[in-house]
Amino acid sequence: MALLELRGLGKSFADRDRPGQPRWIIRDLSCTIEEGEFVTMIGPSGAGKSTLLNLIAQTDLPTAGEVRLRGEVVSHAGATTLDPGVGRRIGYVTQEDNLLPWRSMRDNVLFPLEVQGALDDAARRRADALIEAVGLKGFERHYPHELSGGMRKRCALIRTLVYDPPIILMDEPFGALDAQTRAQLQADLLNLWTMGRKTILFVTHDIAEAIVLGDRTLVLSKAPTTIAGEHPIPIPRPRDAHNVFGLAGFPGLHEAIRAQVQ
Amino acid sequence: MTAKTRIILGRLVLGLALLAAWEIAAMRLGLGFVAGPIAVVGRLWQITASGEIFVQTLATAQATGLGFLIGTAAGIALPLLLRLSGRATRAIEPFVMASMGIPIFALAPLLILWFGINLTPKVVITAAMVFYIIFVASFAGIRAVDRRLVAMARIVGARDWAIMREIHGHAMQPYLFTGLKIALPRALSATIVGEFLVADRGLGFYIENARQQADTVGVFTGVVVVTVLVLGLDKILQMVEARALRWRPVDRDMMA
Repeated sequence: MALLELRGLGKSFADRDRPGQPRWIIRDLSCTIEEGEFVTMIGPSGAGKSTLLNLIAQTDLPTAGEVRLRGEVVSHAGATTLDPGVGRRIGYVTQEDNLLPWRSMRDNVLFPLEVQGALDDAARRRADALIEAVGLKGFERHYPHELSGGMRKRCALIRTLVYDPPIILMDEPFGALDAQTRAQLQADLLNLWTMGRKTILFVTHDIAEAIVLGDRTLVLSKAPTTIAGEHPIPIPRPRDAHNVFGLAGFPGLHEAIRAQVQ
Repeated sequence: MTAKTRIILGRLVLGLALLAAWEIAAMRLGLGFVAGPIAVVGRLWQITASGEIFVQTLATAQATGLGFLIGTAAGIALPLLLRLSGRATRAIEPFVMASMGIPIFALAPLLILWFGINLTPKVVITAAMVFYIIFVASFAGIRAVDRRLVAMARIVGARDWAIMREIHGHAMQPYLFTGLKIALPRALSATIVGEFLVADRGLGFYIENARQQADTVGVFTGVVVVTVLVLGLDKILQMVEARALRWRPVDRDMMA
């Protein structure tokens, strides 16, 4: 059984220019994601990528279709109540890091454990291990405004990893970073993923990023968004994020995906 | 000479010049009109030796402190409770704003009628004065909360109570401290005016009593003590704020 399944998912908004006719942002979108899979999703800007993740993370409700988590319908058209994060089973790393400015770096990482009442010694050790794994050791007591953009992203990333949700959504988390920092964060993410084999759905508008990270890349169409194509990424791991063009088969994959992204 | 010692020297010179001007004004206009600093220091010495200054200051500080605490607590609690319901907020807010228009001091006779000549009327006046300032400040602070932080907290499993404590509680602090800084001198003024009207002790009573005896030195001395009290309390508030808002980048930049 697929870990995550989207069936005929759709989202529409009332259109001010055409009263009575809804404007569909996402329409009839279906796909499945298996346990332990790293799926990247790529689409042109304005393709409703963030809207789609909001529907899955349940910070928004669909107008059509349903979302299934291990077979259980967790969200469907006509539902009226939201359960953001679906009972902590769906982690969500957004474009902005959304760190709490009054908490130190370490306390930001511990925040989910604290509100979940799961903050014990083992959890603290896990947090400290993650902090060390992404190279943030020595910055535990720094406030977010004292950290660089890349460090803040790392902190936001491990804040979600620390409570170990079965699936993690990532919405262009490295979008606003310079190329060097970005490659380093991709490398860090690959490392973390190899360690834990989490199920990840990673949205990006950067084709190279989609290839270097994913087991499989889904291409989204322009709005109304649906799945335009699917590309398995057979490049063996470990992959070097600092040298994407040196990866075997990269140019062909890049060209095939680019041709499909409108 | 460093820039810092220059500033301190400048302050010293300016302070002495102001004191000199004050003393000259007292000599020219007569002690019955303006009491000069020398006379005030003499009186301060007297009432410190007799202990009267402590009795009066303590009485005023008690009324101000109680009123300040009650007004602040209510001013924080009401917006937080209103946050739970948008409809309740829209229903209640105009009434709070309208009641702000009632001149509090005009209610003093009524308060005396209700509570008698004791601590209560002064505490009520002070609390009312503080409440509106803190209410408006807290309200603005809650409105300014970053929705994205709330969304993040929900996704990682935080419930309403935890979100209110963690996110609203922290995000409103800069606004709250601005409100407290405005409210503090006003709270003291409110207590003093309350003591003018009805009291048998307190700094306001001391000033009013001196006026009734045409004791200009006493009036000036009382005002000086009140001013020093305001400055002292403001200093304490500043220290609390610097500690509580350590996480804010702006404050750090401004201190550097």
